[in-house]
Amino acid sequence: MSHAESAAAHAEASQHIEQRWRTAFESSAIGIAMADFAGRFFAANSVFRNMLGYTESELYQLTYLDVTCEEDRKANQELVRELVEGKRQHFQIEKRYCCKDGSLFWVRNNVSLVPEMGGVAPFWFAVVEDITQRKEEESARRYTEEKYRLVVETASDAVISLDESSAILLANPATTRVFGYAPEELIGKPLTMLMPEFLRKLHETGFKRYLSTGQRHINWQGTELIGLRKNGQEFPVEVSFGELTKDGHRVFTGFIRDISERKQAEEMRKQAQKAIQTTQAELARVSRLTTMGELAASIAHEVNQPLTAVNNNSNACLRLLANQKLQPDVLRRALEEIVADGTRASAIIARIRAFIKKAPTEKNRLDVNEVIGEVLAMMGHAFEENGILLQSELAEAIPPVLGDRVQLHQVLLNLIMNGVEAMTAIIDRPRLLWVQSRIDESGDVLIAVRDSGTGLGLEADRVFTPFFTTKANGMGMGLSISRSLIEGHGGRLWASPNSPHGAVFSLTLPVADGSPS
Amino acid sequence: MSHASVVFVVDDDPSVRSSLKFLLSSVGLQVESFESAETFLQRKPPDAPSCLVLDVRLRGLSGLDFQHELAARNIRIPIVFVTGHGDIPMSVRAMKAGAIEFLTKPYRDQDLLDAVRIALEQDRARREQERDLTDLQQRFDSLTPREQEVISMVVSGMLNKQIAGELGTAENTVKVHRSRAMEKMHAQSFADLVRMIEKLKGPAKKAS
Repeated sequence: MSHAESAAAHAEASQHIEQRWRTAFESSAIGIAMADFAGRFFAANSVFRNMLGYTESELYQLTYLDVTCEEDRKANQELVRELVEGKRQHFQIEKRYCCKDGSLFWVRNNVSLVPEMGGVAPFWFAVVEDITQRKEEESARRYTEEKYRLVVETASDAVISLDESSAILLANPATTRVFGYAPEELIGKPLTMLMPEFLRKLHETGFKRYLSTGQRHINWQGTELIGLRKNGQEFPVEVSFGELTKDGHRVFTGFIRDISERKQAEEMRKQAQKAIQTTQAELARVSRLTTMGELAASIAHEVNQPLTAVNNNSNACLRLLANQKLQPDVLRRALEEIVADGTRASAIIARIRAFIKKAPTEKNRLDVNEVIGEVLAMMGHAFEENGILLQSELAEAIPPVLGDRVQLHQVLLNLIMNGVEAMTAIIDRPRLLWVQSRIDESGDVLIAVRDSGTGLGLEADRVFTPFFTTKANGMGMGLSISRSLIEGHGGRLWASPNSPHGAVFSLTLPVADGSPS
Repeated sequence: MSHASVVFVVDDDPSVRSSLKFLLSSVGLQVESFESAETFLQRKPPDAPSCLVLDVRLRGLSGLDFQHELAARNIRIPIVFVTGHGDIPMSVRAMKAGAIEFLTKPYRDQDLLDAVRIALEQDRARREQERDLTDLQQRFDSLTPREQEVISMVVSGMLNKQIAGELGTAENTVKVHRSRAMEKMHAQSFADLVRMIEKLKGPAKKAS
């Protein structure tokens, strides 16, 4: 090959290389631009041109500063200066380009200064990547993060994050308000310092089990627990926890809400409801007793008249006797009147008994255990108020009796109330009230009410006498009327001493016809 | 206790009524009994210390209404209430209207007798006071108009000389009027006279 040929071949080969570079430059998937030392573009590939929307000839009229967003120019110039001064070999910048149509987009530019070489003046070489999408994602992520940070910072609940050893990683400002600790007092400390002693072991074992088995020992959403404030005060909290994994480590974040006030409100509402229930029960009791109470009041008035007359006559005789002025005929007349008034009083009682027997009754087949249950429910308040321990021994499968539910209520209320009242003065032994039901030897249904009260002493037989009472405010009619009511059912009611203390009132009721006895 | 005093029992229950009469008689009291408020009102008001023992629950006019009726008729007689079935509002009403006592049957006889004694004593004292006042008024009325004039001036603190000047008479004439008036009023001293005139003025003032 001649020198000329060789030179020609060489020229051809270098033309090939030149062509290849140019093609590579032009069809690169990334923007490439070159600018002279003054910053004016003299070469740019199609990607770069398309980014900015300029034609080649338009672009070559412009410098890099012309297409750089005004706000980013200063930073860019600074980097260029450092490069010129030899402080750097190249630089990277994220900045906004301004398109021909005025719109902005983000790019990352890798810029190097190509030094003077073989007579070719030094120039700028920039590789430009459109990073608008990444920037938008970043901004969105930052916004989201900021949003969550704001939520946590301003939350009124304590927000606490834990690592896998249950040590506190983060605590928000509300933590101070809820627990009394500043966040920095908590970081690195175990979560258990915010719990009362009795919950700590529970938390530790529960937490460990969760880490190893994934089994939760409490509900993670809205569980009510007890918190411990810095000042030692315990208070109710509602806790919700969530979990996320970061670099293979699990982080737990909890929202802890102080629910003292809510609890207090709930407590007050409960108390109000209880008060209403108590009142209702009391009302029910009173309304059931009213019939008996009204009866007793009218009896009191009617019977008081002859009693007053008996007293007046007797006292007059005693006074005359004391002054030795009592004439036999005066005495006789007074005694006659006394006898007449006594008879009148008994007649009133007899009339009332007859009235009670005649009172319209509605007899149905009743389960005595059910009736007892109803009465005990009505009396619950009285038991509680008087510190009475109730023990009921109700035999199963008791055949029904034929009875008036309201009358049996009245009798049982009366017997139980008597038992309760007989025990209010007892302080040296438990106040026990037994209520029993069973079938007795003769096949009747027997109900017994026992108390551990003061007992009846020698007066067991007299308690059924009208106007006999051992109570300061008693009318002395309850047991008398009760006995009439039970006798009206074909049953019996009697009293006997309880051992070692108190009294037993027992009543029998015949089993309803057609029931196996 | 005055022999003339009378206890009136008003109760519609015959055995209570008669036994009450017996009890009150046994301590030497004079007793009249009535079965209703109406029959009591038909009787001429007594001229002697007296009181009422009254059942609250009467047929016809009730005890409490009766108490008002008596007050309306200006019959001032102390009342002891008895009741077979009294409640607190009822007793408060009765006591506010001036009852001596409110007893619930069956009461202790001593309580009743004590209440009756207090009632009679109160009525006796009231009557005595009224009688004194009537006497005094009669004595004052027996003075001549000039004597009454002089006495009013004396009591108001004027000297004989001033009174004489006021009435345009001699001081001696005033002295004569004054001593005659003192005599007619049965006044022992000047202070006594002042008390009498104050007493006479008292109810008159209240009435006006």
